[in-house]
Amino acid sequence: MSLGRRDESRETTVDWERALDRFLAGIERRAFRIACMALRDRAEAEDAVQDAMIRLVRNYGRHPEDQWRPLFYRILRNRITDAQRRQKVRRAVMAWWSGPEADESAPDPLESAVDPRGTPEQELEGEELLARIEEVLAALSSRQREAFLLRNFEGFDVAQAAIAMGCSEGSVKTHYFRAMHSLQLALGEWKP
Amino acid sequence: MNDDMRELERRSRAAFDESVESLDAETRSRLARARARALAELRERRVPGPAVWVPVGAAAAALVAAMLWQREESAAPPPDAALAAFEDLDMMAGGEDFEMLHEDEGFYAWAEEQMSDGVG
Repeated sequence: MSLGRRDESRETTVDWERALDRFLAGIERRAFRIACMALRDRAEAEDAVQDAMIRLVRNYGRHPEDQWRPLFYRILRNRITDAQRRQKVRRAVMAWWSGPEADESAPDPLESAVDPRGTPEQELEGEELLARIEEVLAALSSRQREAFLLRNFEGFDVAQAAIAMGCSEGSVKTHYFRAMHSLQLALGEWKP
Repeated sequence: MNDDMRELERRSRAAFDESVESLDAETRSRLARARARALAELRERRVPGPAVWVPVGAAAAALVAAMLWQREESAAPPPDAALAAFEDLDMMAGGEDFEMLHEDEGFYAWAEEQMSDGVG
């Protein structure tokens, strides 16, 4: 390879790395907030976002730039699903330990359990409306929640949401409408 | 979708955007570090450039040459055999020589007969 072509290749790689950096910098905070709302646990949300970043860079970094966003959210969605499964197992184990035969002198495992309402810190940082929305979203199916988070908060169009969720555009529309309907019923009378 | 739903969409999106903007510095910093880690992995996985491969390639070529030379030293065929092998190869490479084999069947029968006589 000639010196000129090598320089050109290095320059392209640097440009590509900068583009990835810009993309991730622009998405990381929103992704973190979305992961927080889905997982209701900041540490888990951070882990999920970091893992999604690494996987995107490793596996899809060479894909066209306009595909990064839906691919990133698809990876994040999978990480969130994994984390939710782990949370369920943890809760089941804790529920078992906190049964009637549990040792009274042992530390209460429920104290360290994930509070579905979030930590006081979380409650303070968000707006009241957002806190209410989180509560409602927690009660929805995961697909409805995803459709709402991606379409409304992340501004995905139907096609992008379908890629991120790994389903048809028709399903996205249905899940989104049901999520909005549930939110409207729950928050209909809510006024700031 | 009715107007109330649209209003709910708008207000909830605004609240979400506000929560993103108001993320604490510590969380922002941790996210930036996570991003740096992801990109660092990219650099670690990058294939080394030609400048690195040139000496590696030269060393590999030298090693292969040394191995072939040693092998030749230990099991070199006699010069006649090497020449015959070269001629076989040359003959196989040229299509017309195969045709000659069929045309001169009488000659080869005679040659075989002569050789049998010589051996016997």
